[in-house]
Amino acid sequence: MIATFLSKIKRTDWVLTVCMTCLIAIGTAFIWSAGSARQIAAIQNIWHVHAYTAAFGFIVYFALASIDYRKLLDFAAIPAYAGALVLLVAVLKFGAEVYGGRRWLWFFQPSELAKIAVIVFIAYLAGREGRRSFKWFLATGAAFAVPALLILTEPDLGTALVLAPAVMVMLFVARVWTKGLVALLLVALLAAGLVLGTVYVAERQNDEARKEQLYSRLPLREHQIKRLRVFLFPERDLRGAGYNQHQALISIGSGSVWGKGLRKGELKALGYLPQSVSMNDFIFAVVAEESGFMGNLLLLTLYLGVLLPSLRIAFKSTDERGRLIATGVATLIFCHVYINIAMSIGLMPITGLPLPFISAGRTFLIVVMASLGLVQSVAVHNEEIAET
Amino acid sequence: MNPSRWFIVALGAVFVFGELVLGISLFRIQVLNVAESRESQAIQTIRRVRVPGMRGRILDRNGRVLAECRPSRCIQCNLEEFQRRGAASNTVAAVDAAIDDLSRALGIQRQTSPREIERHLQTASAIPLVVWQDLDESTFARFCERSHEFPGFADHVSAERTYPFGTLAAHVLGYTGRGDPEGFENDPVYFSEKEMKGRDGVESYYNRFLSGVTGEKRVRVDARGFRPTRARQNLMDDAGDGDVAPANGLDLTLTLDIRIQASLERELEGVTGAGVVLDPRDGAVLALASAPTFNPNECVPTLTHAVYASLTNAPAKRGQNRAISEGYAPGSTFKPITALAGLATAWMPEDEYNCQGVYRLGDLRLHCWDRYGHGSLNLSEAIEQSCNSFFCNLGTAVGSNAVITAARSFGLGSRTGIDIGGEYSGVVPDDEWKFRWYNEHWYPGDTCQMCIGQGMLLVTPLQMAVVAATLANGGRVYRPYLYARKEGAHTASVVRRIPYEADAIELVRKSMKAVVDTGTGRAILVRTETEDGRRRRFRLKVDCAGKTGTAEIGRGETKRKNTWIIAFAPYEQPTVAIAMLVERGESGGKTVAPRVHKVLASIFGEEEVTGIRPAAHYYEGRD
Repeated sequence: MIATFLSKIKRTDWVLTVCMTCLIAIGTAFIWSAGSARQIAAIQNIWHVHAYTAAFGFIVYFALASIDYRKLLDFAAIPAYAGALVLLVAVLKFGAEVYGGRRWLWFFQPSELAKIAVIVFIAYLAGREGRRSFKWFLATGAAFAVPALLILTEPDLGTALVLAPAVMVMLFVARVWTKGLVALLLVALLAAGLVLGTVYVAERQNDEARKEQLYSRLPLREHQIKRLRVFLFPERDLRGAGYNQHQALISIGSGSVWGKGLRKGELKALGYLPQSVSMNDFIFAVVAEESGFMGNLLLLTLYLGVLLPSLRIAFKSTDERGRLIATGVATLIFCHVYINIAMSIGLMPITGLPLPFISAGRTFLIVVMASLGLVQSVAVHNEEIAET
Repeated sequence: MNPSRWFIVALGAVFVFGELVLGISLFRIQVLNVAESRESQAIQTIRRVRVPGMRGRILDRNGRVLAECRPSRCIQCNLEEFQRRGAASNTVAAVDAAIDDLSRALGIQRQTSPREIERHLQTASAIPLVVWQDLDESTFARFCERSHEFPGFADHVSAERTYPFGTLAAHVLGYTGRGDPEGFENDPVYFSEKEMKGRDGVESYYNRFLSGVTGEKRVRVDARGFRPTRARQNLMDDAGDGDVAPANGLDLTLTLDIRIQASLERELEGVTGAGVVLDPRDGAVLALASAPTFNPNECVPTLTHAVYASLTNAPAKRGQNRAISEGYAPGSTFKPITALAGLATAWMPEDEYNCQGVYRLGDLRLHCWDRYGHGSLNLSEAIEQSCNSFFCNLGTAVGSNAVITAARSFGLGSRTGIDIGGEYSGVVPDDEWKFRWYNEHWYPGDTCQMCIGQGMLLVTPLQMAVVAATLANGGRVYRPYLYARKEGAHTASVVRRIPYEADAIELVRKSMKAVVDTGTGRAILVRTETEDGRRRRFRLKVDCAGKTGTAEIGRGETKRKNTWIIAFAPYEQPTVAIAMLVERGESGGKTVAPRVHKVLASIFGEEEVTGIRPAAHYYEGRD
């Protein structure tokens, strides 16, 4: 049994594992650095938590890699999905309210769990009969839409934003109703453009009443409109809604080519980059300030070292479900990385999304590692198919 | 290859492209636009703190130290160590409690109020707050031994001004206070401690010279405006780039001679008055004193209300420098000037006038001090005997304009330009001036009054010292000065020459010598002492010349006399010119002359003489 396990582990993609481990190590170091600016011991020691979580994550990672994902899909896809839905409902009812949202249930965030549950469930659906039918397409859509709506209610726009592209990519890979998907994509882009355009026009108005009227037509909350405004006009509200992003930009820029050195970031240490976000959503600013442009290049390369092997596994996979899982997970991680960094440097509006492997956050770290475990399982068990 | 594989390849391309976009953006921010971010960072994290240089000393002409800085032992509080969450008042309370603890532990009174803590937190949280200053040695030592028990407090030695000779030359030196530097009130990123600043006298006039060039230190501040705690500071590189070391102030050597100054002050003790000793060769101020005086050590480090009140309250006004800032009628000491005005116009040296004790001008009757009259006398005798009638007559004969011109040529009516502040210009009245202030025209009586140094004429003791110096050196009016610059770059500056012939000046000088030899000012030259019923006489070792003066002011109850002497010595080649004034004296010859004698004796020495008897014309005590 152990021999089988080891032979399976041998067949996993080592580039992916190495890059992922490096990223986790970097994350632990910079959580330590960000925590050192705080005086509370519990916060100073969050990096321990990150390391322990990662250790647990590795167990999950290798365990999932060694289990045949097809059996797992048959066995666990429906319970996982149902469980995720229950938790999403539970968090709305019993969750602790933090920063104006109900995202936390006890010690974890159900919306993070839902990400993997949805991907797995859609892969599972793809294995069933009749998937070329429009009915199947609607079922898939519903499988995404129900948890997505629950997540939006929390509200957690960020999670919904990364889940949608992942699901869409999976549908493209499954080649279901491609024309419809393209149309949907165009409509989404158009809607985004329209929203942004409305905010732009509204902000150029001098007439307050007219502005109000324009805003009342948008299906957005006040803080979301504020974020879009900051994105469009970053210089307008540097002390208010735009403060975090402005400080992040100064941190990143002042890091220059080689950075200031681990723990030596001043904006973080002096509290200009708010301590409440410096080890979570804005940890990239700390990394960039202390490790500089060169450190960032390494970081981006390591991310490619996780993403491209995942796609390679999808490419090689003879099994449709395996291909779907691998592309879905890769897209999810890419969206997280891209949105988080782009937000830190002002290329995108502020969205509360963690940076995979780096940001402190137990649920998300385990979820990402488990997802990659599934991807490795695809790598391991597809070769088995080829052999038999 | 099936379409989904193509799609996966395309997806890979999208990932690579996305990361490329991020990489390029980061290149732009972190490599191309670094300066911009660095500047924003510096603006918000770096504060400039002014670092004053050590204030220079003030020395007399022989290098004796009149003012210097001594160490002041302080305890300062690093506010960042007491930061509390929530409202700023929490932090104030924490600091306040810590100060209370420390004051109990050391057994000393608090010096800092909660209000001051609050103000410091609001305006200067990036620099430490000095909570005790000027502690005695043993308390300070106790604190230093136990300072580890009081985290957040640190020992600190700052400079404080001290005046080793106390009251000596107080009015010349002035004192220092502490204040915010000017011109930076609206610049919140430019912090400073209260800086030492000259408040009066040369401390104020030469403040920039003494205080040196202020340097600049850079400190980092956190988002709440505090200096990072030491633990955090260690994480960061030094913020010291761009620090500027302060330049210490220069030592200021004055022309004062403390021996002369001390003797002048001794002679003014207990009276209200002033005296100035000049070097007639270049206008250097050898001594300048005003009485009553004060101790500038009372005024540092800060002038309290009580001390300020005691400096300014009438009638003593201890803080007032009467030598330069108060106008007095010069009385008969003005007569040499009237004499020169006369000699320059119509009056000949040998012209005589018969004094009959009263001078009549229309309805006006002006009494001479000798009510029986001096009889017939010439100009030289008139100076020697200080005959009022003679000079009234002379003035009426030559006209007021000649006298006014003469007075102004000596610098009366305008500031001498001495290098300390607060100088009064005095008044040399004329028709226009009188009309402006009294709405009346000039009467011949005014001319009479002016000729004998009374009426509306006002001069400062310093101006009269300049008059004495000008007569001493044969007619050069120097700007009096206190700051002795280096050899070669001499400051002596002749303001003007008085427009009178050498013969005339010589005649006046000779008459002034007669004043001390045989006239009203004998007590300047000879001191008489009665010991065991035996009279001993002491004469200055050098010849000298002078003029007495007694100005009557006020009427009835408030009638009083301000008594004057101007003098210079040695007669042939004068090196010292002096003017001295005592308010509410008896007469110049009686009240001031013995004091001037002692000052001159301290410079030139005196010797006991025998055989001098009171001369036939012995006018001691009269003018």
